[in-house]
Amino acid sequence: MKAVTYRGPKRMRVVEKDRPVVEHPNDIIIRITRTAICGSDLHLYHGLVPDTRVGATFGHEFAGVVEEVGPSVESLNPGDRVVVPFNVACGTCFFCSRGLTSSCENSNCSCAIGAGAFGYSHTTGGYEGGQAEFARVPFADVGPLKIPDDMEEEDVLFLSDILPTGYQAAEMGSIKEGETVCVFGAGPVGLMTMQCAWLMGAGRVIAVDRLDYRLAFAKQWAGVETINYEDECGGSDVVTYVKDITDGRGPDVCIDAVGCEAKGSAFQSFLGRSMLQAGMTTALTWAIQSVRRAGHVVIIGVYGPPWNLLPIGDAMNKGLTLRGAQCNVKRYMPHLLKHIRSGRLDPRAIITHRFPLEEAEEAYRTFDNKTDDCIKCVLVPNAA
Amino acid sequence: MEQEHMSQNWNSEPGTLGASAAADLHHHERPGVPEEIAPPRPLTNSHWTTPEDQLSDSPPLVGANMRLTPVYSSAIPPRGLSGLIRRAAYKIPEHRARRWMLLLLADRIDAVEHEPAAMAKVVGTLGLVIFGVYALRAARRR
Repeated sequence: MKAVTYRGPKRMRVVEKDRPVVEHPNDIIIRITRTAICGSDLHLYHGLVPDTRVGATFGHEFAGVVEEVGPSVESLNPGDRVVVPFNVACGTCFFCSRGLTSSCENSNCSCAIGAGAFGYSHTTGGYEGGQAEFARVPFADVGPLKIPDDMEEEDVLFLSDILPTGYQAAEMGSIKEGETVCVFGAGPVGLMTMQCAWLMGAGRVIAVDRLDYRLAFAKQWAGVETINYEDECGGSDVVTYVKDITDGRGPDVCIDAVGCEAKGSAFQSFLGRSMLQAGMTTALTWAIQSVRRAGHVVIIGVYGPPWNLLPIGDAMNKGLTLRGAQCNVKRYMPHLLKHIRSGRLDPRAIITHRFPLEEAEEAYRTFDNKTDDCIKCVLVPNAA
Repeated sequence: MEQEHMSQNWNSEPGTLGASAAADLHHHERPGVPEEIAPPRPLTNSHWTTPEDQLSDSPPLVGANMRLTPVYSSAIPPRGLSGLIRRAAYKIPEHRARRWMLLLLADRIDAVEHEPAAMAKVVGTLGLVIFGVYALRAARRR
């Protein structure tokens, strides 16, 4: 089968690989029909996530058709169309039984920082990802969601990650009616977060980014106020500006939807690029500094081990609630499917580019360089 | 490559999300509230108490203080010099920074030793450096 493989920082190649096989009785093999490149794949692409091995296939947002089922699979049959959560979760361990599938303790033997995940380095278990023609999906009775007959793969593709991640971010912010929410990062997951903030009754939603085309999209699609921190802060810094437009107090909730490759601070960039810390915490630092006292700061941007520089004293003295998590995707899928069906959410609208799987290198370059007004890339395998 | 135009379903004014606004206003309607399901219960369709063990001839590296999990990936086993470094790193607990530094080092070596183009570049550069050093020495002797 054809699969996109990592060859080193900023090098991807489509190669022929062995087709995956059932390795556990509850595995399924699916034929991928749609697979997306996530913003967090760029951290892998840049070589920032430890234990990313040459030859690995990325991709944790995918949907497809069940081709083969293991002997203990009860809920799926060949021919079923499914969308797959990025977490590999057993459904019964201490954490899964509490709804915390992103902390499953039966799927990642590399380290204890979280559950296994598809296509996200051996730090999360080394599972092969979905940027290929086929993928093996363990714990098939637990994770995958059957796609309703009247819906297309792209309607629900983002239930695999970015939509539930955005929803969980807004939820972790404990948004109350009329509150002001500031989302740092107007990429795909930031956009989902903005939509979900409205769902939870936010009174104002503000997007902060440096790319005009993304802010324009956020304004139009998510109906938010926008700030380009590079040229719209009236000569002051972004933290001061955000406070100024929120009664001097700051937003009630600030959400970091950027992660370890944030721009905007030469000092942070120096520390991150010289590997003195795990990437740049610029967005999270701004979130902590901007939010009002006793506010909520939510981290959904991805940061790698081992450490980062943060104004933790500000967080303590301001009495902040600081929350972050990889998303417990399965928990949100049915609820968000209802929102999609009702038309309240239209996640496929953010797809700006579709590439054949064979052109994945170009897709990565376009997404990484933010050229051609790219917001979200979807790869379409030939086998579809 | 196809570029699509953005959604027709957008709004032009900030703060006007129409029908979708505040549909999940009440916290009890949000799927992740409370954060932990109580009492704990197996997720729908899981039909085991403890999952069966995966059997494989090539189990993966297991981190320090970790156990082999019921399912795992046997893809891309460690190999070469980078593999030796990865094996050493996996013996170090994850709260030690040197574990992660060794893994990042292994990643960089992996990207050279298993990518012919990168290897050729490194060999070429090293060759030029060695040639330069010898040439300098020879020039000084004269």
